[in-house]
Amino acid sequence: MRRRTFVGAGVVAILGGTAACSGESDTSSGNGASGGTLTLAPLVPSQPWDLKDAGLGNNTQYYQPVYDSLLRLDTKAEPIPNVATKWSYDSTGTVLTLTLRTGITFTDGAALDASAVKKNLEHTRTGANEAAGQLKGIKDVEVVGADTVKVTLSAPDPSFVANLGSVAGMLASPQAIDAGTLKDTPVGSGPYTLDKGATTNGSVYTFVRNEKYWNADEFPFDKIVLKPLADPTAILNALRSGQVDGALITTPKNVDAARSGGLNILRYQPGDVAGVYIWDRDGKISKPLGELKVRQAINHAFDRATLIKSVYGGLGEPTAQVFNPISTAYDASLNDTYPYDPAKAKSLLAEAGYPDGFSVDIPDVGPIFPEAQAAMVQYLGDIGIKCKLVTVPSTELLNQLLAGKFAISYFSLASFRSWDTITIQARPDSLWNLFKNSDPELTALIDSAQNSTGDSQNADFKEINTYLVDQAWNAPWAVVENSYATSRRVKVTAQAFTPVPGLYNFTPAG
Amino acid sequence: MKTFLARRLLSGVVLVFVISSLTFVLMRLTGTDIARNIVGPTATTQQVAAKEAELGLDRSVVVQYWDWLTAAVRGDFGRSWFSGDTVTSSLTDKLPVTLSIVLGGLLLSAVASVLLGVAAAVRGGLLDRVVQLLAIIGFAVPSFLVALVLALFVAVEWGWLPATGYTPFAVSPSAWFESITLPSISLAVGAVAATAQQVRGAMVDVLRKDYIRTLRSRGLSRRSLLLKHALRNAAPPALTVLGLQFVGLVGGAVVVEKVFGLTGIGSAANSAASSGDSPLLMGVVVVMVTLVVVVNLLLDVAQGWLNPKVRVG
Repeated sequence: MRRRTFVGAGVVAILGGTAACSGESDTSSGNGASGGTLTLAPLVPSQPWDLKDAGLGNNTQYYQPVYDSLLRLDTKAEPIPNVATKWSYDSTGTVLTLTLRTGITFTDGAALDASAVKKNLEHTRTGANEAAGQLKGIKDVEVVGADTVKVTLSAPDPSFVANLGSVAGMLASPQAIDAGTLKDTPVGSGPYTLDKGATTNGSVYTFVRNEKYWNADEFPFDKIVLKPLADPTAILNALRSGQVDGALITTPKNVDAARSGGLNILRYQPGDVAGVYIWDRDGKISKPLGELKVRQAINHAFDRATLIKSVYGGLGEPTAQVFNPISTAYDASLNDTYPYDPAKAKSLLAEAGYPDGFSVDIPDVGPIFPEAQAAMVQYLGDIGIKCKLVTVPSTELLNQLLAGKFAISYFSLASFRSWDTITIQARPDSLWNLFKNSDPELTALIDSAQNSTGDSQNADFKEINTYLVDQAWNAPWAVVENSYATSRRVKVTAQAFTPVPGLYNFTPAG
Repeated sequence: MKTFLARRLLSGVVLVFVISSLTFVLMRLTGTDIARNIVGPTATTQQVAAKEAELGLDRSVVVQYWDWLTAAVRGDFGRSWFSGDTVTSSLTDKLPVTLSIVLGGLLLSAVASVLLGVAAAVRGGLLDRVVQLLAIIGFAVPSFLVALVLALFVAVEWGWLPATGYTPFAVSPSAWFESITLPSISLAVGAVAATAQQVRGAMVDVLRKDYIRTLRSRGLSRRSLLLKHALRNAAPPALTVLGLQFVGLVGGAVVVEKVFGLTGIGSAANSAASSGDSPLLMGVVVVMVTLVVVVNLLLDVAQGWLNPKVRVG
């Protein structure tokens, strides 16, 4: 689904390439092998070293070597201890107390203590990028003792703790933050430091061991080299000729070529759900979409199993829900709600008062997703819904969707933990609830989920999911699958909710 | 000659100014939502607005342009909106990559096209027809296809040369040479085809001239006749084509750099234009236009050296 043109790759990276968590796991480097160099090819160019300007997803690869994070995420993206050894909420779910590991210093000698954590959280949240966005709910950070920090949130955020295991929870030297030197040089307490002599910005980044790192056993490689590559052919050639040990394969047809070239392929779900998103559920700009039966008809129109093959080259799992399979809201039985049934779809349209169908404008995403667009136009055409393509430059697509110009479109949205998915698209003020649709029943369920924990919260999540499927808010097709290729020199394990495995997940082979 | 050069220099400066201004305006007219592209699809509208304010995008285009221009004439091109690196350091890193492969390609095509063109003109017959056929094929095959094939076989299958990446000359001259060989060949193929035809045509014309016959009748050696008299007179039109090729090769570098994963000026221009990274794109445009102006200037000087008639006026 990722195209060769840069514009395409860029937009796909924007549309689907962000993850709410860093790729860190609890895998211990069991085989004891160590040393050597790990060379990876990130899909995206680097972002500024200053964490307030840091993004997530693919960008995480640049930050992981130098910056340690408050928590780590295991392979299922559950938070586990790291710099912070203990954490707990108060009864309101808005005051989080973190206990820190003692004796850690940044590579410039500054101490990693409670005030350094406070400085970082307050500094990162001043930015406008994705990591900063995850910290916007912080009301106050209080230094309770040298190793204790109290974070007060303005409202309960069920994803907040996990976010501290990603870029949002990464820590830079407070001295470097004050000096304003992070723009050019990262200073952290992570397992590696940037070797500027062996680094050319934009093409090669070399990291060497931080000899003082507290947890060096978890990082078997002596050197990490990152060489960003965006072109699918360049990626494949670099892998096959042994120039890099790991890279994301961005075009399904290259997966077989990589495998036959002697590379290992790791398949996993990065946490994106793609398909037809019905944005205008109140029928503001397309009256028919305000009818439940019309939206249900759209859901019955697609042969999802076939779409997986024709659109995603077999890399994906059919779905009818926007929550991904490892989230707590997921309910496999919901996928049977709308089987492929064009006759039923037509009769539902007739019942809703559209026996001859209707026509609707959709943004022309052909340059980025040609197969998906062709499938959408054809399947909807089969039940009498005529899609009129409106040309939109790929660089303006997000803009026009967010401005509410289209009632329905093919799209791919990030779907991580249940609460993340709700925050991204289901709340009345969610950014990707484009027409700000709401319903008292749904709002009550979301409120209840936000203010509960554990099993009762998960039950609420499932109810929200069921509501969205029953109301046919969208017509999802597939849980997207990524393919990560590695050389035989290294081993890698998958990491939930992230487009690429994290640094923790790599070990030398043999 | 001095006034001639001064005039060319001045028009070059005007050209840089006009093209950079146009680029700036065009960047603002496309409607690309730069702040949204930077902060990602899940950022709130407040975050996007904050980013816009941070970048100064909320001010009028005229103010933004004036800020850029006044900083640029002092040599300060700002920082990339996406990577945060200074544009000057980015260009310093990227320019050698592109120059290496473009000059490598140009050198290759100059040598190959003179050899092929002269041989075809002098020998004629079958050789001539083969060269002409090759030229047509070379002209028709796009450079990216050559690049794909070379990368697949020479680099991946046979492992003779690196498939991607660039090694600076200062780090290792031999690795530098290896890293630019395939991209340079990819670029050169089309240029050889065009220039060889030009050299051939010019040589054929010159060899028919009366003075060549006269020189030959005076008993000049074939070698001196060809190299000293015929080639020198056939060179100006070929040199003009080669100069134009340089501009073409810089354009071709955009694609070739992608295939070989090189982070040169070409790929920077491509990515900066599509993402809306205005500071970087402006830097790239200034450097590229300057490069073209300088190359044309050098070409004029070379023409003057080859042909005294040009020096007048």
